[in-house]
Amino acid sequence: MEHQQYQSGNEEERLDALFQAYRSTIPDTEPGADFMPQLWQRIEARERRATIFGRLARDLVTAALALSSIMALAVSIAHSRAPLPSESYVEVLAEDNTRQDLDYFEPVRVEPVADQR
Amino acid sequence: MLVDFELITRASKGDGAAFNQLVLAYRKRILGTIGRLIGHPEDVEDVGQEVFLRLYFSLDQLRSAEVFEPWLYRLTANAAYDYLRKRRRRPESRMADLSEQQVMLADAVVGERVNRDEGQRRRIRDTVDALLDGVSEEDRVLLLLKEVEGLSLKELGKIYHVNENALKVRLFRARQRVLKSFRNAPRQVAGLSGSH
Repeated sequence: MEHQQYQSGNEEERLDALFQAYRSTIPDTEPGADFMPQLWQRIEARERRATIFGRLARDLVTAALALSSIMALAVSIAHSRAPLPSESYVEVLAEDNTRQDLDYFEPVRVEPVADQR
Repeated sequence: MLVDFELITRASKGDGAAFNQLVLAYRKRILGTIGRLIGHPEDVEDVGQEVFLRLYFSLDQLRSAEVFEPWLYRLTANAAYDYLRKRRRRPESRMADLSEQQVMLADAVVGERVNRDEGQRRRIRDTVDALLDGVSEEDRVLLLLKEVEGLSLKELGKIYHVNENALKVRLFRARQRVLKSFRNAPRQVAGLSGSH
């Protein structure tokens, strides 16, 4: 009946009737017996994938933290082994001044100029 | 609503049994809608499972149980759209134009003389499929939800989260394009010959 309706009337009406006929060609039908088991399989597969990725991400974060801790420890050990200056600041300053004084007060040596003739 | 709000709330909190009941209640309707949106019965169950899979992983984002049906239709429209887009990328499966379609339909009708009703149904399906080939996948889904599924502009507005006037304009343009193809189609394809 609906199939015949879209063959008469104006174009707008015929198109409407065609859509209605189309609806009747694909009715709501019950899915196959495998529908629910397959759906749950897909859900579980995606959950598994999400779990694996989550675990991988957690492991990566843990590894990165461990690595940065090790590096921080290594840097602090290297610093602790560097020799500390035994002199005080004042002593270092005084020594530096002495050296400057030497520059100013060192006697000038005058070399005798040789006779070029 | 095919189920009560309490079941939806339970399912959204991760209750597997409640989710199972939800799927059992809606699967027939959703599979019918998908079948009409994509027009390929052989792929309906696969797309249907994708819809319920997306529902399972997004149900906890549902604001309230009242908006469950528009939410489910939105997932359905999106899954149908994704399927159609993928299918269009495969040129061998696309019906390029109506004249080619006409040949296919003739073959189909001749090949199925044993069951004339099935031949007629297939002819209608293929005709609508060919007519909708002229519009984008988005417009195809939108147009079918309105014209075939019978959803109102208000319901479509809730599904698409779009202003009703914008939808009206879009639907009008899509329908005009389909109507133009319908006018230009050979009489047999447009179903005007009254053959059989």
